[in-house]
Amino acid sequence: MTETHPVTATVNGREETFEVEGLESLMDVLRDKLHLSGTKEGCREGECGACTVLLDGKPVNSCGYIARAAEGREIETIEGLNDALSMRIKTAIVEAGGIQCGYCTPGIVVMLSGLLRRHAAPDERLIRQALSGNICRCTGYAQIVDAVLGVVQGKAAAE
Amino acid sequence: MSHIGSSAIRSDAWSKVNGETVYAYDYKEAGMLYGVLLRSPYAAGKLLRCDLAKARAMPGVRAAIGAADMPPTLAGWSIRDTPLFARDRVRYVGEPIAAIAADSLAEARAAATAIELEIEPGTPLIDPEAAARPDAPLLHPDWKDYVPTAGSDFPRNGNIAAECSADPGGVDAIFDAAPLVVEDLFTTQRQYQAYMEPKSAVAIYRAGRYIIHSGHQFPFNLRDRAAQFLGVATTDVRVIGHAIGGGFGGKLDYSVEPHAAALSKAASGRPVKIANSRVEDLATANCRESTIVKMRSAVDGDGNILARDVEAYMDNGAYTGEMSYMASFPFHCGAINYRVGKFRAIGKLVYTNTPPTGAMRGVSGPAMYAALENHMDHIAAKLGADRREYRLRHLVGDGDTLPNGQVLANTKLLRRGFDEIEKIVPWRGAAKDRVPYKGRGLAAAIWLVNPLPGALSMKLEEDGTLSVITAATDNGTGALAAGVPQIIAETLGIRPEQVRISDPDTDVAAWDSGSQGGRTTQTIGLAAIEGANQLRAKILETAGQLLQVDAGTLTIDDGKIRIEGETKSRMALSEVAMAATFGGASIQGTGGAALPAVPFNPGCANGLLFPFFASPTYHVHYAEVEVSPVSGNIDVTRYVVAQDVGRVINSACVEGQIQGAVAQSIGMTLYESMRFADNGRLIENNLQFYRLPLAVDIPKVEYVTMELDNIEGPFGAKGSGEAPILLPPAVIASAVADAIGKPICKIPVTPEDVLEALDGDGF
Repeated sequence: MTETHPVTATVNGREETFEVEGLESLMDVLRDKLHLSGTKEGCREGECGACTVLLDGKPVNSCGYIARAAEGREIETIEGLNDALSMRIKTAIVEAGGIQCGYCTPGIVVMLSGLLRRHAAPDERLIRQALSGNICRCTGYAQIVDAVLGVVQGKAAAE
Repeated sequence: MSHIGSSAIRSDAWSKVNGETVYAYDYKEAGMLYGVLLRSPYAAGKLLRCDLAKARAMPGVRAAIGAADMPPTLAGWSIRDTPLFARDRVRYVGEPIAAIAADSLAEARAAATAIELEIEPGTPLIDPEAAARPDAPLLHPDWKDYVPTAGSDFPRNGNIAAECSADPGGVDAIFDAAPLVVEDLFTTQRQYQAYMEPKSAVAIYRAGRYIIHSGHQFPFNLRDRAAQFLGVATTDVRVIGHAIGGGFGGKLDYSVEPHAAALSKAASGRPVKIANSRVEDLATANCRESTIVKMRSAVDGDGNILARDVEAYMDNGAYTGEMSYMASFPFHCGAINYRVGKFRAIGKLVYTNTPPTGAMRGVSGPAMYAALENHMDHIAAKLGADRREYRLRHLVGDGDTLPNGQVLANTKLLRRGFDEIEKIVPWRGAAKDRVPYKGRGLAAAIWLVNPLPGALSMKLEEDGTLSVITAATDNGTGALAAGVPQIIAETLGIRPEQVRISDPDTDVAAWDSGSQGGRTTQTIGLAAIEGANQLRAKILETAGQLLQVDAGTLTIDDGKIRIEGETKSRMALSEVAMAATFGGASIQGTGGAALPAVPFNPGCANGLLFPFFASPTYHVHYAEVEVSPVSGNIDVTRYVVAQDVGRVINSACVEGQIQGAVAQSIGMTLYESMRFADNGRLIENNLQFYRLPLAVDIPKVEYVTMELDNIEGPFGAKGSGEAPILLPPAVIASAVADAIGKPICKIPVTPEDVLEALDGDGF
C-alpha cells in the first residue's frame, strides 16, 4: 500500500483529520475523502478554477494544492459558504440568471467571496480580473459580473 | 400574471450555486471500479499486437479488454465506420485500443502501461484537401462495405466520407462573361466545445442488460450507439442521465460509455467509471470541424451577383459520427442572406488521421457565415460600395428562396435586424469616418431549429404539484429548468415552481432527440402544451363532478379551481388530485411534437442529407474592434446583437444564451487555436495552450430580441441557443480587416495574423 500521512485541518469550521498519500491534491481529498463534491474537477491543471476553495481566506485552485500543506490551515469550500456576504453573492447570481450548466458556479462563488471579503467595493475591472482564473463556458460572464456589481451597489446603499 | 417573458428563477439555480448538484463526473456507485483507456500514441499505423496478459495480472485489475474481446461490429450515427477498439490499424492519436478496470485509478493506470503494444507507424493524412485527392492513400480501405445507419446510402468515395453537391449548369459561362469576378479562400480551425465538466460515465452490466449513467445531451442516441458497439438489442441498454456540466454539442454522441459498459460485463457486473482527464477530453473531443472554403462570385456592373461557386472541405477526422449531415451546409450557407443568380456548390467531408469531429453549437454555421459575409465585404470593396448599403440592396425578401428551394417568409425580421442595430449604433462605414486601427463589421444570418421529435408525460401529484417525465435534457440553457415549467404553468394556471421535471431515463421516458439545434424549449414546449391541456381538461372535469357544476364554467388560477366570474376559489388542485387518484383515475397527460417538414426542392442538390431549415430565424450582428499595430492584439470593444427569438419565454435565459454564445464564438475567432503537427499530435493540447475566453476578454453584449407572433413554437418561442454563435467570426474578421485595411480570411485571427497582414504597414 502507498504510505499515507495524517493531516489535520479546519474544513468549513470543523476540525477534520484525514489520511493523505504523498502528493495527493487537496481537491481529491475534499471530493473523495470528505465527500465535498461541490468542489468541481474541471482540468486538474490549475487553469479553469472550478476547484477553487478558500485557504485561510484566500482563493486557491485545490487541484494544484498538495493536501499535506493544508496542515493546520482553515479551508472553506462552497458547502461551508453560508455567511451573510456569501449568501448575498449567491442570491445575486441566482437572481441575475448567472448560472447555466453550473459546473463553474461553486468555484466562482468561492472566488467572489474571497474577493468581496478583501475589497468591499471592487469596480467592474477588478471583478473581471478576479474572475479571470475561473473559466465559464456558458454565460459569457456578463450576468455574473452584473450580479457582483449589484451586490457591491447594494452594500454601498446599505452602508 | 403571465409567466411568459418573465425572468423566473430556474429550478436548479440554488442547488447549483450551493454546490449540491451531482453531475455525471461526481456520480458514484457502491463497489465501483475505475476504468482507463489505452489510447493510440500514433495518428496512423498498423496495430500488430495488443497483448493484455501482463496487464490482467497486475494488482487490483478486474478486467482488461481490447478489440479481440468485442463482437466484430462497427458503429456510427450516420455510417457504421467506427470500431470500439482499434482492431488492425490505428487512425488517430487518442483512438482507444484497450481498456482496464481496477480497484483504484492508480492501479488501472499502472496496468494500462503494462499492456504490450506493437504498432508500425504509418504516414498520417492531416490536411483534408490533400486527403481528398484521388491518389491519396485510403484511411478506410473497406469504405465500400460500411453500412449506412439509416439504411439508404449517400454520396461518398474513398476518403470522401460524404459529399453534397449542386450544379445547375451554365455557371462557368456566367463567370467567363462577367465584368467582375471576386474570389476568396477562407479557412477555419477546429473548435473544442470545452464544456467545463469533462466526459465520464458509470456503467453496470446487470441481469443481461447494460445500465449507463452519464451526463448526456441525447440519451436515446447514446442508447443506440452503445447497443451498436456492444452488439446487443437497443433496449438491452438503459441510459440514465445526470446533471450535464455543459455540452455545446460535444455530448450528443458516445464517448467513454460503451467502453465502461464492456468493462463492467468483463468484470462480472461490477460498476465501472471512466472519467476523461481534461487532456484526454481535449485530445479526443468531437470538435467543430475545421474548414477550407473557396468562394467565387460573378458580379455585374450594378453589383448584382450573377453566379456563385463554392467548394468546401470539411475535416471529418478518422470516423464520421453525425458529420455526414454537415456536408450540406456549404450548399445551404453558400448563397444565403443575399440574392445570388446561379449557384454551384460542393461540400466534401474528408477522412483524416485526426480525432473525429462532430457537431458543436451552430455546427458549420460560424465557418460558412465567416466566408460568406467577408466575401460580401470584398465584393462591396471591389465595387466601391458601402458594406451596409450593399448588403441591404441585395438582402433577400419574402418569396425569395434558400438554395434548397425553400420559400422564405418573415424576412422583414432580417431587415429589422439591420434597423435595430442602426438605432443602437449608427453605421459609419465611409472612408472619412475611419479611425486608424479601429474597425467595425456588420453581418447577417438565417438559421434553423432542429426539427426532430420529442415527447413527455405528466401527472398531477396528490399535493397539487406536477411531475413531468421526459428524456429531454437541459445542458445548461434552462430549457427544462425554466422554459418548459413556465410554459406548463401558463397553460395550466399554476406556478413554474410547482412543476418538476425528471432526469432522463430511456427505460421510463418516451423518445427525445436531445438538446441540440435549439430544439428543447420549442419542441418540448409544444409537447408540454399538449400534455398540459389534457391535464387541464381532466382536472376541470373532475372538479366539475366534485362541485356539481359544468366543467366549462371552471378555470384554474394559481393552482386553485375557480368558477368563472367568481373571485373566490372553490377548491385546491390537491383536492382534485386526491379525488381523481383514489377514484381510480389519476390525472395524467402526454404530449409529443416535431417541427413540421418544410417544402423544398428535392432535386436541388445531390447528397443533401440535411434538407431544410425548419422554423427559420433571422439575425444581425455588429462588432467594433481596436487593433494594436505593435502587438497585433485585437480587442472587441463593442458587440451588438439583433436576434429573432420568436417569443421570449425567460428573459434571463435568453440573455444568457446570447452573452454566452457570443463569448464562445469570440473565443473561436480570437483565442482558441487547435492545430495538428504533421505527426497528427495536437499542438494546443491542454487548457493552458487551448486558450478559452476569460472574463477580462469579453465585452458585455448589447442586444435586442425581435419577437413576432407565430404558431411554430410554444407561445411563439423559437430556439435561441444556437443563432448567436454564428456571426462573431464573420463580424470580427470584417472589423479587423476594416481596422487594418487588409482582408482577413482565416479564423482564428491571431496577433501573428494581424502583423503578417500589416506586413510592415503598421509601426
